[in-house]
Amino acid sequence: MKAFSRFFGFLLLLTSFQRVDAQVITGSLGDFQMDETALYTMTKQMSQFISRFNYEEDQYGTKIDPKSPDYHNADKRKTVLPLLFDMDNPRTAGSLRDYFIEDLTKKNAQNLEFLGGRWFAEVSARFIWKGQPVDISMIMAIEKEGLGSKWVISNVFFNEFQQMFPQGELAEREKHFLHPMSHELDFMNIYKIFNDPQIIEYYASTKYQPDYLTLFFYEIKLGNLVFDSVDKVKFHIFQINNWYFEVSWFNRTGYNSGWLISNLVYLDEAEKQTLLKIYQPDQY
Amino acid sequence: MKKILFALAFAFFALTGFQSFAQEPELTPERKHDIDSLALEKVRDLSKYVKIVGSKDTPWSEANRVIDRAEELFAPDAEIGVSSLAKTKIEYYKVRQYLERLMRLNYDRVEIDWYKIQYVSDLQRQPDGTYVGVITVFQTFKGYDAEGRLVYQDTTKKDITVYVKRKEAQIGGRLIGFWDVMLGDMRVKETALK
Repeated sequence: MKAFSRFFGFLLLLTSFQRVDAQVITGSLGDFQMDETALYTMTKQMSQFISRFNYEEDQYGTKIDPKSPDYHNADKRKTVLPLLFDMDNPRTAGSLRDYFIEDLTKKNAQNLEFLGGRWFAEVSARFIWKGQPVDISMIMAIEKEGLGSKWVISNVFFNEFQQMFPQGELAEREKHFLHPMSHELDFMNIYKIFNDPQIIEYYASTKYQPDYLTLFFYEIKLGNLVFDSVDKVKFHIFQINNWYFEVSWFNRTGYNSGWLISNLVYLDEAEKQTLLKIYQPDQY
Repeated sequence: MKKILFALAFAFFALTGFQSFAQEPELTPERKHDIDSLALEKVRDLSKYVKIVGSKDTPWSEANRVIDRAEELFAPDAEIGVSSLAKTKIEYYKVRQYLERLMRLNYDRVEIDWYKIQYVSDLQRQPDGTYVGVITVFQTFKGYDAEGRLVYQDTTKKDITVYVKRKEAQIGGRLIGFWDVMLGDMRVKETALK
């Protein structure tokens, strides 16, 4: 499979990047005489991923004039899109990829928009929690503000927080409540809420959802949680109707490197809403 | 420093034409193109300075003078975040600190080369109206010992933040608006390429 995908990648390269060695960038930085093909094919920035994905720049990295017929050109897009997938991964190198590309090259196909929402960065980072190193993923979203935009932290995934609020068995949850006439007894039974701190949330509304971001800020403010370092970054993209995909950084040799699609899922819009609530609870 | 800034600003006026702006203007595609060129010019200067500072033939006093010039390309609080394949945790340095480390590397001879390829992102606006972009360039480094043996080599990807800010200067009694370009944080990441 790997050999096939490499061969497929090589074929695509031959057709898409064959003029690379002839390219001269005016006023370019260096004069290093070396084969740079791998660096041209590398998707070097997420911005470049978006431009290539939408076919807003050609295979040589030159921006296409929005008035040009080549801009967002479906046929040309079809040749570039396969290069944006991790070709070593069967999940992103099979027929699912082909269906995705077909959707993206139909009439009135969708493009990615930087300020279009529904895309997130996941920053996996190392923190020190109560003296121990722990891994926490921070979900970041682009938010418009003032004259421009900024990245904001929209949620966190930290095992310790998630474990603190287990879903629990429904039958067990239903055993824990304050009866509806408790008010007539001056809530003398309220002490029951505090009997077992591990299940205190059973006494909250059935709609209650823990706010992990507030917990995170609280722990940081108390000094229990201290940032150490960033481990890796990846992107979760929900912008394309009925599709969800991830983009990760592949630091490797060859012609399939840089920011590439590392996971692709066909996901209808209703299911997507459930996921989006996790990524950005205050928006969905 | 002031002379250099003035010269750059002047060069930019020549490119874009003298204009006074009553309010924060949007960047037109033509002006964006001019700004990309100006930003690339700064990155090109940086690449030359890195070569000079890294070279073992550069006298200490000259290297220090060049570090001063390099620092002027960056915003005052700019940081350089460095990681390698072996050590993925990002180490943070100030511009001077980073270049002084380069100057003091323990090799008898070093070769620093820059690839021709460069990638310039679109500019995005931050909340205060300043435009931000990223320029990506690649550099190879080779370190040799006294016997001329290659003892270390790497290829690094350098992602350099570029800030483009609207400023005004009084020239001949008139307030003239211009776009100032400044380098910001730089991420230096070792690639799998040798």
